[in-house]
Order: sequence, then C-alpha cells, then structure tokens
Amino acid sequence: MRRVAVIGVGVTKFGRHERTSAELFAEAAADALADAGLPASAVQALYYGNVVGGETEKQLHTGPQAASVLGIPTVPTTRFETACASSHAAFRHAVMEVGAGVSDVVLVGGAERVLNVTTEESTEYFAYASDARWEQTLGLTFPGVFALVARAHMTRYGTTEEQMAAVAVKNHKHGTLNPKAQFQKEITLEQVLGSARVADPLKLYDCCPFTDGGAAVVIAAEEVARKARRPIWVLGSAAASDWMLLGDKRDLSRIPATERAAAAAYRQAGLGPHDVDVVELHDCFTIAEIVATEGLGLFEPGTGGVAAEKGWTSLGGKIPVNPSGGLKAKGHPIGATGAAQIAEVVTQLRADAGARQVDGARIGLTHTLGGNTATVLVSLFGRD
Amino acid sequence: MTEPVVTQQKFFEQARQGQLTAVRCGRCGALAIPPKQFCPECSQRAWEPTSLSGRGTIASYTVIRVAPRGHAGEVPYAIAAVQLEEGVSMLGRVVDIPLETLAVGLPVRFRPLTYNGQTTVGFGPR
Repeated sequence: MRRVAVIGVGVTKFGRHERTSAELFAEAAADALADAGLPASAVQALYYGNVVGGETEKQLHTGPQAASVLGIPTVPTTRFETACASSHAAFRHAVMEVGAGVSDVVLVGGAERVLNVTTEESTEYFAYASDARWEQTLGLTFPGVFALVARAHMTRYGTTEEQMAAVAVKNHKHGTLNPKAQFQKEITLEQVLGSARVADPLKLYDCCPFTDGGAAVVIAAEEVARKARRPIWVLGSAAASDWMLLGDKRDLSRIPATERAAAAAYRQAGLGPHDVDVVELHDCFTIAEIVATEGLGLFEPGTGGVAAEKGWTSLGGKIPVNPSGGLKAKGHPIGATGAAQIAEVVTQLRADAGARQVDGARIGLTHTLGGNTATVLVSLFGRD
Repeated sequence: MTEPVVTQQKFFEQARQGQLTAVRCGRCGALAIPPKQFCPECSQRAWEPTSLSGRGTIASYTVIRVAPRGHAGEVPYAIAAVQLEEGVSMLGRVVDIPLETLAVGLPVRFRPLTYNGQTTVGFGPR
C-alpha cells in the first residue's frame, strides 16, 4: 500500500443553517481544497457520508448531489452510511483507494441537516439506527441506548453521574476555544446534574445536540502530498463491527468494536495508546467518552470516569480528549462528524489550533462510533 | 436448505402466545435469541428450536423521558436489558413495575405486549 496523507481540511460552522446538506458540504469541501492548494478538477473521487437525508431532506442519492452542488459532477461518488460513523467509514475506504493506487487525490467528507425538523422527528430518525422490529418497536431512543451502557458501567465499576457530568463540563470548556463550535459557553457540574432528564441516568447536558454542518478532507498519495504545504500522514485506519441488537451484546459496560478497531489501527501504525498525544473521540453522550477512553486503551476499564473527574482528559492533562469541544459542544452533524474529527486532529498536528492547541502533539487519534455501538472506526495520524 | 428454523415472524407469533422461542446449536450447544442463520460460536447451521422459561433479571435499564414520534404519548416508560435464566439476553419494555423501584438484578418475567398492533417483548414482575 502507498503512504497516504491528509493535505487539506475544511469544516463549516456547526449549529443551525438555512442551507441544504449538499450546500454545507460544498462549503467545507471548497475550504479543504483551498487548504490543499488544489483546484476542484484535481479531485478523482468523492467518498461521502450522509445519514438521514432521506428523512429530513427527502433526499437520497446524496453523494452525486453533493458532487454536483460542489461542481465536480463527473467524479465517481459513493455515499457511505454507517450511522454516526459514516464519513469516517468513507475516509477509511478512500484511504484504501489511494493506498491501492487507484486514485492520487480523493475528497472525503459528509454533511447533515436535522434542525429543519422537530426534536420528536429527529429522535425517531436517529432511532432508525437501531433494529426496526426488535428495538424501535420498544420506543428505544439513541439516548436510551447509551443510558443502558451508562447503567451497566455504573453497576460494574461504580462510575457516577458526577463523573459523567465532568465530561460535559470539560468538553463545553474546550468548546469555548473553538470558533466553529455550536456551543461556546462554559457549564457547571450543577447545571449538568440539574438538567432535564432524557433517558435515566442521562440528562440533557449528558447528550450532544442535534446539529447542521459539513466537513471535508482532501487525501493524497505520497508523491502528491510531498508537494503540499503541510501533509499529515495516515498511520492507520481500521473498522470493526458488533452485534446489531443490544440484547446480543454480552456486556453493555464495554464497547468491543472500539477495542477491536483500536487494536487494528494501533497494529497498522506500529503504535500503542501511550504514543498518542491528542484524541478526538465519539462523545455522543458523556458515558460514551468514558467508555471510549477505556476501549482505546488510554485508561484501564472502569477508570474512564475517574480520568474525566481528575482532569486527565482536559487540555493540559495527561492525554487531552476532544480539544475541539467534541460532539458535546462542537456539535454532531452525524454524516459530517468523522471528517470533522479528522480535520481537528490534522489541525492539532499542524500546530494550527490556536487557543485549544495541544502543545507538541505529534500523534493524533480519531474514533467514531455508529449508532447502537455496532460500528466503530479508529484512525491514527502523524506529522513529519 | 437455507430456510431459518425460526423466522422473525414465527418468533413474534409464538411470543404473542406467551412463548419465548430461541434456537440451540445441535453441534456446539450455543443458544441464540433471536435466531441467526449461522451459529456465532461454531459457524454451523444445525439449529433446533427451544423454549425459554421467560424468567430473568434486569442487567441494565433506562427510563425514557424524551420519546420518538409514535411513542411520545407513552412517556415515561422503562426499557431493560434482561439476562434470561438460560444465559441469553433480550431488550424489552418493563411493565407493572413502579419506575422508582427498578434496579439491576431485579427478577422479571417475559410478557408479550402489543403496541400499534405489533407484538413486542415485555417484562413484568415475577
């Protein structure tokens, strides 16, 4: 396989937009191409993530639509849907296309539009990522899935609601340093603990918001990347899956797909958890960040809550997690999230992250989880 | 012969009668519910239907307070992951147990529920 680098990144402001997902993607993609110093005509393929376009925008075939709105209608385009991990799955496949020598320059990204529908509607659409017959019929929601994970983790390890709240407080603080973040205000532990209950034990501030937004990255083969200003190398990119039904998972306090994807990505890169300087991971809910830090090997199983509480995952801590504000504060436009995480890690490794810069970061990791924990992508990045 | 031993439709027809039906691997003895085409333990396709007791304990639970469209009128309601006596687990709606008394380890028993004309998995008190 050829070496592959990210040579350009672009992310829209996250929040509410009066534009289609294709328009949001096109903005991010134009920024990514400008960052890469390449014209749109250099793009040889588009790998695109979009999840609920069929529901919120009555739009399928969103890949070619996004390419058309961007103005590159003739490149081969494929839409990926692995729930919230969609554009990270797109990224992994694009890396394989470039690594295999099929293309030299590929555009990867995603976009989502959900704030144009009511919370009841979006809650229903997001629940489509769980099983239609066995789980949706019960009225299971996305927060409900992670509430079951949270209760199992609390029971097995003694994790507390205060520790989960510490994740929200930390990520909101990080979000104040990110001008693209949906939320740029600090919150207190008391505010989290006192917020409205959504799916016990999860409360409103344990949950990431609904978000409109787009993100894009340009990847290139080594010979092209060497001419780029600041290439960031892809050191590993791995996917893992797990049982679709929560009932089939033997231990809800762990997310085995994270453990498997991380092991594969570390193996590809020849690295381990202790080599990682900065992490963007999938904190769709506060408990998700705690379990992910354990699954990625950053902390022992059962100690992720302690790590959050003690500030080990804060900027300036042992291993800064989600300096962007994470899904919690930056926002979670589901089809765009994986690409947005990669954009943040690339920005960090270029030492270009301003007030939220992790000093001296050389190795970065992104982790994106799909829906009911049945899909996980992990990628590792390094600078020259 | 690729017809599954227990189809999803057949499972729910039997569930409606109060019967939880799993499949047991004739090769390695693994138990699965709902049925799968291949045994995840030994990759064989030697399933035989088997009835479960319906008795189990709550392994994890949540009380849903913000519901999807279609369930909005039902909040608050509880969903639990239940570990059945035979070792397999299932998700189900919890009924007839006060929400404030829910706890991990609480004994429950399978009970078929019908929402919008569809049978779903429920668990009530023993």
